[in-house]
Amino acid sequence: MKINEYIESGILEAYVLGSASEAEANELFNLKAQHPQIEEALFKLESDLERIAEHMAIAPPPNTWAKIEGGINELVKTPQFEYLIGEEPKESSRGSRSRKSEQFIEVEAESGHMRIRKIWRWVFAAVFILGKIFLAFAIYYYLENRHTQEEIEKLKIELESKRSR
Amino acid sequence: MLETTPQSLTEHKPQSIRSLYERHGGMLLGYIFEVVKDRKLAEEYLIKIFCDLSVQLNDVSHTDISGWPQLQKFTREKLLSSAEHSKFVGLNPGLKMSGAPNHYLEQLTEEQRQVFCDVYYYGKTIADISKTLNLTEDLTRKALKEAFAIMRKGSEN
Repeated sequence: MKINEYIESGILEAYVLGSASEAEANELFNLKAQHPQIEEALFKLESDLERIAEHMAIAPPPNTWAKIEGGINELVKTPQFEYLIGEEPKESSRGSRSRKSEQFIEVEAESGHMRIRKIWRWVFAAVFILGKIFLAFAIYYYLENRHTQEEIEKLKIELESKRSR
Repeated sequence: MLETTPQSLTEHKPQSIRSLYERHGGMLLGYIFEVVKDRKLAEEYLIKIFCDLSVQLNDVSHTDISGWPQLQKFTREKLLSSAEHSKFVGLNPGLKMSGAPNHYLEQLTEEQRQVFCDVYYYGKTIADISKTLNLTEDLTRKALKEAFAIMRKGSEN
């Protein structure tokens, strides 16, 4: 492989900008070890990338660092660190979970919601309707019973009054 | 072995994060602005990213963020994993906005700009970009190299 052609191919730029495939990156590491001019070119590209970014910089407002410091202090106060954007890296996530589980017993699931099959909504609806029907019957029989009791009381009184005559 | 504890966070935080902020804060704000196209939102992300970085710098497996390329990749990963990521992809880095120092991107051809922005701002692979643009991977890499050379020349002047 001609090294100059390789350097000119754009692979180094793709690597520095973070879009080289794993195979390309591996090849680059191997070649870098053998050819110092590749390492030199990579260093130059990284410096150029930094200079380009410097020229596209926007000065942050003066109170930005105070806000960052405040945010970091908030993270220090919280017992478990969580990333503010996106997902925690897997390894770190696993580590923090194991640390957490050593100190705490989880008494509540992470989410307040649970997933159940849709069929259960018909079961819940049926239970609800049956509950209402039983309640209506219970009220009806209670009133019926009370009415009957009153009737019996009346009859008893009538009977007693007839006997006393 | 290092562990992320409140103590270690306070111990490692001030110098490393502050020096990173002083060296690269403005560059990072310019970079984030090109992705989100909103100054206020870019500033909010800048703060969140440095806070996340303070956690990351104390993480055993991620202690290598010291220069701009690593910081830029970390920021890109964070932006792409954020909930609003889908909104950013529709935006067009390089599009002229008031107060945006992106005149270097305007020097590129449409194809060069697309390749550079897809790689630099959205982390797309050469293979994906070549499919989208219907180019060979070699031509896509060439376009990236040319774009980089133009940007570099612009920054030297």
